Amino acid sequence: MNCSDWEERIAMYVGGELAASEAAEVGRHVADCAGCQVFASGLQQSLALLRAAHQEPLAPAHFAAVRARVLAELAGERRAWWRRAWVYGLAGAAAVALLVALAGRPGRAPQPVRRPEIAVTRPPAEPPKVAVAEAAPEPKPVPRVRHGRRAGPGPAPQPVQLALARPPETMTVKLVTDDPNIVIYWITETRGEQK
Amino acid sequence: MKALAFLATVGPMDGAGDGLSTVAAAQAGDLAAFELLMQQYERMVLVTALRLLGKLEDAQDASQEVFLRLYRNLRKVESGSNCAGWLYRVTVNVCHDQRRRRPAPVAMEEIAEPADAGPDPQQSATEAERRRVLELSLRVLSEKERAALVLRDLEGLSTEEVARALGSSEATVRSQVSKARVKVREFVERYFRRSV
Repeated sequence: MNCSDWEERIAMYVGGELAASEAAEVGRHVADCAGCQVFASGLQQSLALLRAAHQEPLAPAHFAAVRARVLAELAGERRAWWRRAWVYGLAGAAAVALLVALAGRPGRAPQPVRRPEIAVTRPPAEPPKVAVAEAAPEPKPVPRVRHGRRAGPGPAPQPVQLALARPPETMTVKLVTDDPNIVIYWITETRGEQK
Repeated sequence: MKALAFLATVGPMDGAGDGLSTVAAAQAGDLAAFELLMQQYERMVLVTALRLLGKLEDAQDASQEVFLRLYRNLRKVESGSNCAGWLYRVTVNVCHDQRRRRPAPVAMEEIAEPADAGPDPQQSATEAERRRVLELSLRVLSEKERAALVLRDLEGLSTEEVARALGSSEATVRSQVSKARVKVREFVERYFRRSV
């Protein structure tokens, strides 16, 4: 076995991590191998140096600084929690008080929601003015002629063109709500239409 | 080993009635009790974080995060009845997260070059210099090797405790620790250009 294969086992041997039987085996090899003795010695010394280098005590101020930062953060969290709790508590109490006040009003049983009253006002209807677009003579009564199939087309009766000129018609819808301060007016305007 | 045994006794021990009552009081919202709890473990947490991260400012940030997590998880700590083990595990995790967020660039020339070219650099180097070099030696390790070495050889935890803190098997921890020891030895030898 090459000595480099022993390195990790020697490293465990130095740290006392091997089981007794394995430790005895490694111990025998180290005792017989000069190179591995140097290696094991180097391991022990480097570990001792490392431990010594890390034994230097830290100043108490460094610990106190950490402690102060932690406590300040925790105190801040608590303040924030109390602030939130206070606001939520107040809001909850207000909501409860409102419910109690509404429920405790005497003689006011829960009523169905009242529909808004709707009042429709129209201006007085004027008689529609009829304008005759074409002054046509009073049509004479035309005798009805029953046209046969073979009969030729006779003179078609002249239709009378009438245009109804109606003025814009407005309609106002008044919506009265439960709140006396709120009245909704809906004003519509109907333009004259030709039919 | 005597050194390891000594180091192990330096760390805070669990199971003391005072510790549990302090946890209970802190759990009830007593900040003064939580401060006591912090004082009990702050050395362990900050020193471990410093060994893992290498910079005091980073280690202080990590310690702050560890203790905030402790406060928010006091219930778990009490049920686990192993505050130190829990804190070691969280410290390793927080340091891991911090290294991922702000990785510390390692200048290899800074590590590779010897501090002094004299005949016996180890003697001529100042103590601070030597300490810096040895701290740098941890940077040649992978993150897991470093955590395993710090917990096993510097914090003095048993292999089983390290495995629990790292969430690994004992065999994995043994392998990581031995590899880390070999790498540190190589680094120290290369740096001082002599066999230590």
